[in-house]
Amino acid sequence: MPVISPSAFAPPVATPAANDAHGLTPSLREQVRRLERAHSVQRAGRMAVPLGLPAIDALLPEGGLLTGALHEIEAGPTASGRVAAHDGAALGFAAHMLGRFNPGTILWCRQPLLGGDALPYAATLSAWFNPARLLIVTTRHEEDFFWVMEEGLRTPGVAAVVGETRAADPTAGRRLSLAAEKSGIPALLLRPQPAPPQSVCTTRWRVSSAPSAVAAVPSPEVPGIEMLGAARWQVELRRNRFGTPSVEEMPTWLLEWNDETRHLAVVPQAQHRSAGPLRQRLVG
Amino acid sequence: MRLADAHTLEKDLLTTSAEPEADHRLIEQLAGWCDRYTPWVAVDPLGAALADPDAALICSAGGFGGDAGLLLDVTGCGHLYGEGEAGERALMADLVQRLSRHDFACRAAMADTAGAAWALARYVETQAGLFCPPNHQREALAALPVDGLRLDPGTLETFLKLGLRRIGDLYSIPRAPLSRRFGDLPLTRLDQALGRKDEPIEPRRPPPAFRSRISFVEPIGRAEDIAAATERLLDTLCRQLEQASLGARQLELALYRVDGSVGRTAIGTSRPNRHAPKLMKLFGERLGGLDPGFGVELMILSAPEVEEWTGAQDSLPDTDTPTRSSWNEDGTLDLADRLALRLGAENVVRLAPHDSHLPHRVQVAVSFTTPVPEGAWARLASMKGPRPIRLLQRPEEIKVTAMMPDEPPRQFQWRRHAHRLVRIEGPERLADEWWHPRPRGKTMPANIVPPVRDYYRVEDDDGGRFWLFRDGMRNNVKWYLHGFCA
Repeated sequence: MPVISPSAFAPPVATPAANDAHGLTPSLREQVRRLERAHSVQRAGRMAVPLGLPAIDALLPEGGLLTGALHEIEAGPTASGRVAAHDGAALGFAAHMLGRFNPGTILWCRQPLLGGDALPYAATLSAWFNPARLLIVTTRHEEDFFWVMEEGLRTPGVAAVVGETRAADPTAGRRLSLAAEKSGIPALLLRPQPAPPQSVCTTRWRVSSAPSAVAAVPSPEVPGIEMLGAARWQVELRRNRFGTPSVEEMPTWLLEWNDETRHLAVVPQAQHRSAGPLRQRLVG
Repeated sequence: MRLADAHTLEKDLLTTSAEPEADHRLIEQLAGWCDRYTPWVAVDPLGAALADPDAALICSAGGFGGDAGLLLDVTGCGHLYGEGEAGERALMADLVQRLSRHDFACRAAMADTAGAAWALARYVETQAGLFCPPNHQREALAALPVDGLRLDPGTLETFLKLGLRRIGDLYSIPRAPLSRRFGDLPLTRLDQALGRKDEPIEPRRPPPAFRSRISFVEPIGRAEDIAAATERLLDTLCRQLEQASLGARQLELALYRVDGSVGRTAIGTSRPNRHAPKLMKLFGERLGGLDPGFGVELMILSAPEVEEWTGAQDSLPDTDTPTRSSWNEDGTLDLADRLALRLGAENVVRLAPHDSHLPHRVQVAVSFTTPVPEGAWARLASMKGPRPIRLLQRPEEIKVTAMMPDEPPRQFQWRRHAHRLVRIEGPERLADEWWHPRPRGKTMPANIVPPVRDYYRVEDDDGGRFWLFRDGMRNNVKWYLHGFCA
């Protein structure tokens, strides 16, 4: 029985006889199969949820976010290169993802920060999903944190598991990824700061807030100060496992969130208002 | 007698200081151990009262130290040891034998009434007299000294002076003069001992309606064995609950170790539950923390809190087929139970909307068992005004630079970083809810302006969006950061 399916990345198909000749026992074959789980054949039949942004969905496997997978969203540095003051944009993008997944409970795990703990604000999140679905769990220890996430990923009826953490534990990431794969429940890791890219997530996004759109309302009487427009986020797809390779190494989009029409859209390149400095940063 | 006098009389007298507290702890521990025979165990209230040095002396005998007593209501418990009267005798023998194994010298008596058993245990002289057959307490008590009636020393002394030495002597005395002379207590005590008057025994812990027990011939100690035994206990208990169409809200597992100590652990569920595998999962969290010590000889599982069963019929499979219909039917509530058991219930919450126009009062964390009404959030979301996506638990004061005090800020400093503002939206003026009574129950005096906050949504030159407010009026203006916008 051929165990290694033909795929662009897989080694040449070996006949059973050849396997025996090499002394490949069934258990060893099983091991090889497990090692090759990453390859595209294993993800056949896995579900994906489109983000509703055609430009991004085109690059993602199955035309959207895989549901049984781990996705990381980190708050990127600001345009001037400073560490972001907050992860509002990343949280907004994560909320957009959560709104696309199945209905059901959203398990939200947090580790409270020592100074200035800021809870997600449900009234705002309700633009994306019903906050009554949230089950918010606060943990003190890192072990508890990952335990909660794993328990959530094993529970039928949970639509998605979100973890807000600074901890980057490759083992825990691997376990989460496997648990998500097994149950088909998506797991999101929300990072307030860029973390070392260790975990085996399927996609990793870096989201930072960008200057908002030009407001339709004229500026107030105060000179030098304008009105706020629709929020804009700079979204960078830093890892795209199983996905379509893009021309750029790390494709970047500018998204605009209109909180009145509740619509998220990609801003066409030509409309980038502060295109100059942004381009520079992306190159550097 | 004073200690000095005692020393003169007996040269080799050993003395230690009295420790009523420790005695009391020990007797409580023993009472806990006695739960193995019956859930209805009480520490002799007279003994307990005497352990308190301030309490008035209400009884001649009994007390702390060597005279402490425990009351066990073993009605219907003897069958575990044998049929009828023989079983009850066996139970008593087992109790005395096990206690002596732990080096406790004790006397146990059994009778229909607590009063009779109390007197027999202390004053009967023959071993056979310790067990009083049903309805024979009148004969059994007749020969005992009046001290067996639990009376105060003054009354007893008068009894002796009058020649009333035995309890039997009181039987023939007319009741009216007796109560006129000594008050109601002697007659009450007599009636209680003879069973003519009820004497409620207050158990230490409320006895559970449902329990199951398992005892081992050989003590067990391995974690797997304890888990397997727990599973069997749960099966039995869940069947009992099913018959009564009830579900458990709380379960307690007690491990009786060979050294006489008892280890207990409890689990709680957010809704009535009688699904053994689910409950076992909850116990799985707790069993690891239980120390079997030198071995466990008996395990008792009890359900102190039960409620009407509201769930689905037991025959329907409810764990393997995932249903995504509603909060209650899927596995989420069981998950929340498990998380709450490990992390504490205050750490597993849901967000419920609260009727308020103040943004920081809109969301309240509620227990995960509280239902959040459908559509409650949708109504709130339609409220006007820009809102942050994260709200700081408490606003943080910031340093603000503005051209004029009343003008919107140009720059603010937060956590040692300066943010130059390029875009501003606001102000949105929110006044305190003056129609609510103050925390101290006073409404605000009319002449004071209620504190108002002017909220601004701002964007710095880096694109970071914040939610600020100005607190106070002209002279005393303070700026705070209250949230982060998407």
